[in-house]
Amino acid sequence: MSAILFYVLAVVALLGAAGVILAKSPMGSVISLLGTFFALAVIYLLAGFQFLAAAQILVYAGAILVLFLFVIMLLNLGAMGSRFELSFAPLQSGRARLAAAIAMALALIGLVAAQRASLKALAEPAADAPALDSLRGIALELFGRYSLPFQAVSVLLLATMVAVIVLAKRQRAGEHGSGEGAQ
Amino acid sequence: MVVVQRKELTLAERLYLPEVLRGLSLTFRKFFEKPITRQYPEEPLPTDEVTRGQPRLVVKDDGNIACVSCGMCEIACPAYAITIDGGETDRTIEREPKKFEIDMLRCILCGFCEEACPKDAIFMSNELELADYTRAGLVYDMEKLKRPKSALQRRIDYIYKLNNRWRSKP
Amino acid sequence: MDGFNIKDVPEVVLWIAKIAIIFGGLVGTAALMSLAERKVSAWMQYRHGPNRVGPFGLLQPLADGIKFIFKEELIPEGANKFLFRLAPALAAIPAMMTIAVIPIGTVVIADQVIPFSIAQIDLGIMYMLALGGLSVYGAILGGWASNSKYSLLGGLRASAQMISYELTLILSILVVVALSGSLDLNTIVDAQREAGLWNVFTPFGFLAFVLFTIASFAETNRHPFDFAECEPELVGGFHTEYSAMRFALFFLGEYCAMTVMACLNTTLFFGGPSVPFWPEAPWFLGILAFLVKAGFFLFLFIWVRWTLPRFRFDQLMRLGWKVALPIALVNLLVVGAWVAFTTKGS
Repeated sequence: MSAILFYVLAVVALLGAAGVILAKSPMGSVISLLGTFFALAVIYLLAGFQFLAAAQILVYAGAILVLFLFVIMLLNLGAMGSRFELSFAPLQSGRARLAAAIAMALALIGLVAAQRASLKALAEPAADAPALDSLRGIALELFGRYSLPFQAVSVLLLATMVAVIVLAKRQRAGEHGSGEGAQ
Repeated sequence: MVVVQRKELTLAERLYLPEVLRGLSLTFRKFFEKPITRQYPEEPLPTDEVTRGQPRLVVKDDGNIACVSCGMCEIACPAYAITIDGGETDRTIEREPKKFEIDMLRCILCGFCEEACPKDAIFMSNELELADYTRAGLVYDMEKLKRPKSALQRRIDYIYKLNNRWRSKP
Repeated sequence: MDGFNIKDVPEVVLWIAKIAIIFGGLVGTAALMSLAERKVSAWMQYRHGPNRVGPFGLLQPLADGIKFIFKEELIPEGANKFLFRLAPALAAIPAMMTIAVIPIGTVVIADQVIPFSIAQIDLGIMYMLALGGLSVYGAILGGWASNSKYSLLGGLRASAQMISYELTLILSILVVVALSGSLDLNTIVDAQREAGLWNVFTPFGFLAFVLFTIASFAETNRHPFDFAECEPELVGGFHTEYSAMRFALFFLGEYCAMTVMACLNTTLFFGGPSVPFWPEAPWFLGILAFLVKAGFFLFLFIWVRWTLPRFRFDQLMRLGWKVALPIALVNLLVVGAWVAFTTKGS
């Protein structure tokens, strides 16, 4: 039962991901992405990671995607059509195909690595490792063993934010700052 | 040039929440006060004898209408709302209307017909409601216009009082 | 009731009964709220309010519902039909789903305690926040798909406002989470009952309560923050182009969201179903206490709406980002420090 559900959700997630790239209108992309996020959240639930599922919805679907939508609505995209049509233009150029191939290869490597890692983890679970599905476990891991990477990631995000602000400011100070840097 | 002097807000006012509470207390007090709106169809507007509602034909106490179809009201009507077709009758007054119609869509409730009538046969009632599903339904015929004298008595008395002010006392 | 054992009843039956009662109660409350809104506003303005349909106008929601069902659906030309149809559902469904984790109390049948909530999950607050964050999609997609400038502006405002105030909302909820040390709403209620002190009567809790209430008004797009609708400027905001039952769904979603916010406020800050000064109160009094408290907050929503004028949009943003958010952040920081230094162990 859950295996069938998993495969259905995986297909939905992949279709959504493809839709993000192939949809003609940005709105279509966002809706596809929303579908992907939901499918992923339910997969997390199936795997028993309730917190992760809730965080996925809360952060990605509830906040980040809404910001995307916001930007799309602010930009004047009326000319791009409002229908959900697929466009295969992104895959036409040779460079795009190369990039896609590299991405696929990387994803494959990542998958294999993840598979091996998870097998290894299953084979020898650390005796004192807290269960990751409980909130307490996640908190202990996040603020204990992984506190340094966690802080590093937040600093990275902060740096990105500052960089975006600096870029946007510079563009406004320049001669004809259009809305190009909005995202 | 008009310079609007804006009041400097106190700290409590700038905090906003105390003012919100004040507003809430005001609306809460009003919550318990008696409604002042009128429940219209059940509680109609008060009318008195000065009210000039739709014109109605007086039915005398003997059951006959007072109208003799002289046509004065028809001529007086500024909106051409009245149509009278007279005919003979066996009663002593010899003439009575065979048809007496007032087009209520045309009637402007001016009261000229009431003034013109020499026989005290038409008076402005206190009836104000006017609605129907068709236009034809709003052309009132004699049956719809008839009212017993008692129903119009207040208005009749009022008109007599009004007219007596400049009539020489007998 | 002799020999009745709750374990004999199949779990499915219990589930269905709970879902039917709670969900029916939510939708019924939402319907009644549409009447209450008009009645309360009328009484505050020396009027009678709807009193034609049924005794005291109590059947007015039913009449409205029938009217909505039989009205014609209009889809504007140039609208994105798929999203236009999807948006009302997206507005209503998350709002209705969030009621599932609210602990309304317990039912005791033949000495057996049944928790009176659809789901008792330990991440109750996360679940509520995740679904609550989705309710903005109804407004934003509906506004965009309508192909109308009023709708678009309404949707934009709704999304900007919801993003801004969600932070304050979450931060003020986190204060309660820090105080009771759990994301489980049941545990939060129990902690308040055991302490004999509702969160609102603690200094941090009170501040969090005020912020939460303000943010919940903004999150549900209610006065004085109803910029998504804003009749004089935007006609009807994001649902300008909607008619008939789709419009009714937006309406239902708003009232359900209000009801859930009122329940959440009760649960987080007012001890949920606990009766003041009487911890051993019988179960039905607990449920009654919950309903009374939640009812008060529902009344507050209406009360404030008919008292305060609407803010200006820049005032709304300034209040959200420059006043509410810093206070909420500092409050959380202080609470965190206080909890960290006063709690012993682990």
